[in-house]
Amino acid sequence: MSPYWGVDFFEFFAVFFKRLFSLEIVHLATDEIQMIVLSCIAISCALLGPFLVLKKMAMFANSLSHTILIGIVIAFLICSQGSMFDFTHLLIGALCAALFTALCTEGLVKYFRLTEDASVGLIFTFLFASGILLVTLCMRDVHLGVESVMGNADALVLSDVRTALYLVLINGGVIFLFYRHFQLSSFDRAFAQVLGLPGNVFHFLLLFLVAITCTGAFRAVGVLLVLAFLVGPYLTARLFCHRLPRILGWSCLIGMGAVLCGVALTRHILSMYDLPLSTGGMVVCMIGVIYFLGLGVKKAMGLCPKPHQRTKVLWTPND
Amino acid sequence: MIDVEGLTVNYGKTPVLWDVSFQIPQGVSVGILGPNGAGKSTLLKALLRIIPTMSGRMDFFGESSFSKVQKKIAYVPQRGSVDWDFPITAFEVVLMGRYGKLRLFGRPRAADKEAAYRALEIVGMRDYAHVQIGQLSGGQQQRIFIARALVQNGDIFLLDEPFAGVDLTTEKTMMALLKQETEKGKTICVVHHDLPTVKEYFDWVLLLNTRLIAVGPVSEVLTPENLCLAFGKNQMLFDEAARLAAKSASGIL
Amino acid sequence: MSFLDFFIDPVFRAPMWGTLLMCVASSLIGTILFLQKKTLLAESLSHATYPGVVLGVALLGWFFPSQEKWAFAVVLLGALFSSYLGLKMIRFLQEKQKVSTDASLCFVLSLFFGIGVLGISGMQSILPSWNKQVQMLLFGQAATMTDLHILLYGILACCVVFFVWLMFHPLKAIVFDPDFSKSVKLPVPMLERILFWCLLVSLVLGMRSVGVVLMSGMVIAPAVAARQYTSSFSKMLWLSALFGACSGLLGNILSILGTSYLSRNGEMLTIPTGPMIILVGGCFAFYALAFAPERGLVFRKLRIRSFHRKCLEENCLKGFWKKGSLSYAGVQALLGISPFRAFFAVRRLVRKGWVIKEHKTYRLTPDGMHKAASIVRLHRLWELYLANMLKLETGKVHKTAEEMEHILTPEIEAKLTELLANPTRDPHEQPIPQRRGL
Repeated sequence: MSPYWGVDFFEFFAVFFKRLFSLEIVHLATDEIQMIVLSCIAISCALLGPFLVLKKMAMFANSLSHTILIGIVIAFLICSQGSMFDFTHLLIGALCAALFTALCTEGLVKYFRLTEDASVGLIFTFLFASGILLVTLCMRDVHLGVESVMGNADALVLSDVRTALYLVLINGGVIFLFYRHFQLSSFDRAFAQVLGLPGNVFHFLLLFLVAITCTGAFRAVGVLLVLAFLVGPYLTARLFCHRLPRILGWSCLIGMGAVLCGVALTRHILSMYDLPLSTGGMVVCMIGVIYFLGLGVKKAMGLCPKPHQRTKVLWTPND
Repeated sequence: MIDVEGLTVNYGKTPVLWDVSFQIPQGVSVGILGPNGAGKSTLLKALLRIIPTMSGRMDFFGESSFSKVQKKIAYVPQRGSVDWDFPITAFEVVLMGRYGKLRLFGRPRAADKEAAYRALEIVGMRDYAHVQIGQLSGGQQQRIFIARALVQNGDIFLLDEPFAGVDLTTEKTMMALLKQETEKGKTICVVHHDLPTVKEYFDWVLLLNTRLIAVGPVSEVLTPENLCLAFGKNQMLFDEAARLAAKSASGIL
Repeated sequence: MSFLDFFIDPVFRAPMWGTLLMCVASSLIGTILFLQKKTLLAESLSHATYPGVVLGVALLGWFFPSQEKWAFAVVLLGALFSSYLGLKMIRFLQEKQKVSTDASLCFVLSLFFGIGVLGISGMQSILPSWNKQVQMLLFGQAATMTDLHILLYGILACCVVFFVWLMFHPLKAIVFDPDFSKSVKLPVPMLERILFWCLLVSLVLGMRSVGVVLMSGMVIAPAVAARQYTSSFSKMLWLSALFGACSGLLGNILSILGTSYLSRNGEMLTIPTGPMIILVGGCFAFYALAFAPERGLVFRKLRIRSFHRKCLEENCLKGFWKKGSLSYAGVQALLGISPFRAFFAVRRLVRKGWVIKEHKTYRLTPDGMHKAASIVRLHRLWELYLANMLKLETGKVHKTAEEMEHILTPEIEAKLTELLANPTRDPHEQPIPQRRGL
């Protein structure tokens, strides 16, 4: 019997903190597993999202997420016919798909002179359609559809927690180590090139991280909803901060906040109305709600400007 | 010193630079002039290997391998190519000038930060060090990028229309600063758009209109004859032929 | 089963006509989006239809559970409504919040889809039987369309086509230069609004056949293919409608044939129509990108290669003209090329009749002499032009002229002759061969 059975929104947090401080939490309940996994996904995405958006690669991330799904499914097909089903195989499938998509998209732009948006759209729909066809032909009774696109946060188990923690470690570690390279290549790729720095390496490293994050998040939220985790918290944080390290920090907090509220709210609705809702969908809705709340707060703050708030600085004649 | 020979750059089937050859010695300030679409920005980008070239040789300090001299060249890009909404402060932008000298995992050291503050001081932007770049005026933004170039301690400065949309005082102050650099033996190449100020700012002029018309000291190059060549109708046949050449090279009918 | 049966047979005609109409409408709108570089808007809006669909079906199932046959109309309305909201939000983000285009598209896409996912999960418990109405929209299910669908889709598709035909000229102006159009008082905001509604209608029509996830492919692929074959706006619209219709047709036929072929052993295996249509459309696009006669990559590379060959042959001819007679080794040494290339170059010249074999060497035929002379003439005319008119240094003119002699056309030659007043000597004091026939 789950310790969260029948609790409402506020009791949820009470139970959670009680378990946290009394260390009963060592035996994780399903809700806690959901919280941890989704928080890890939120943090990973919050670290990557700002760089993706600043490089104007958000829709490309959308295209990647679709083809990564196909990569995962094909890898799954190959493995299940082979001997062992292993997460590493899925990861390899995802990385190959991501690399292939990136190379094809850039190839179309460079050699065939296609506009960038058309190239992105054409490649991923074509690859996705081929993937669906392949899967239909090879696997008779596969239901490639709902769950792969939406994920199922309610079916998470302990091993997913371990995967999620690895995800956070890898993403956090790489971003921390190479922060200034990512910052430079997002801000001024030409300058990076002029300085002789390997801009392309970090471009592909970012894609690599996006690919593993999508793979890691695939079971929990499905590939499409990951995009909300990538973009939403950054947009909210950007309303208030203008320094990248602070934005990264705030995005992580906003992402985690959305996760906590989402999980608590799902449990609340389940307890009060006996209606099981998708936790992934709820968290995405929370991300949206937090953004609009942020807009409202900013507007309210704008009406009464604070003394430390910087206004537009104009040219002064002493220069 | 910069040594270019036979540089040709096409954009698809449009020729942008055609068979450009020149030599620029050390310690001069060069103004790159020409009508719109003459290939001035393209020349800088080609020198920096940002865009691919059709043919041609470009040497810096007698060295044809660009990677060896990369660290000695500082570049100030056109204002239009910067994302002013990026969450970055003036100080962080200037500090980027030092990134080329750091190793893979290296962090900016105290000396780098000190140099960045000093550069900001020189351009008169020390007080705005921690302001987000989008909140600065045009002139202030340009100073930041010049400070970034200063911090690189390069021997050659390449500036692409640095004074477009910038107030006159900033322009004069910055050019005085750059002239001081030439006195230290550095070479400055500036894509300029304003003919009347050329004599005041530059020692040499490079007159460009898809092909090189003339290069040399200001008084020798800026003759009515040369300016006529740049804009006269004798050029039309040349443009037509260059267009045909670019079409053949790219295979587009 | 004959080809015509696909259009007449009561089982097949609804999906066939449905997809055809949808493809034509979406490819027309797709062309306009492609030229404005806004194709990913279709991607975002097609995903944004999801919550509206869920809401519409939920309301129908809750209040009118017996009226299942109207579900498709409700789906249509719901999809239109929520994608309209999505569009409004994208504009709000872009214009009021200064968010970059792709970030706003991505955010709306995922947010709306998330709301839809939430709704669906609720529906699974409350109205489980209505679930499949919504599920089929993820990847499309053309096969279950009925004649009622055709009627409604037909009317909507005709509206889209009619609008594009009616507003052709203002559309052309808006697509290529929106600021100019505003300045000449074209009703730009109104046209843009109608255009967006047509986009929404096309997307919603296509959802049933192709599915939410793949719909943007149907918008993009025909436009990409059409662009490769023409630069005229009207021709592009016709071509993309044609490509779209063919993709829909072929995709449908292939999926039906494929399904019947693969299910012949008794086990039921359906080839989904939506992905098939996208695959065919994508194949058209890739074929056009590679093999279109003017812009295709393959033909571009072939043209470059034949140009290089022409340059080599003409350089050979010049060499023969200067030296009189040459052997293979002579040609190779003179031009600095491999013996292999020299051999084939000379062979080609012999075959074309410019050069003839004499004992162990080769020399020019009379025709070859004239041809070589004309090339040398072009070279020396160009040198003179550079030196006299453009005041280039005499030492530098030779190298440029080496490249130009292969490119100058007879028209340019005539202009040069006129400009330089029929010259006889080049900057190096060498004679300029006169024009043949003069």
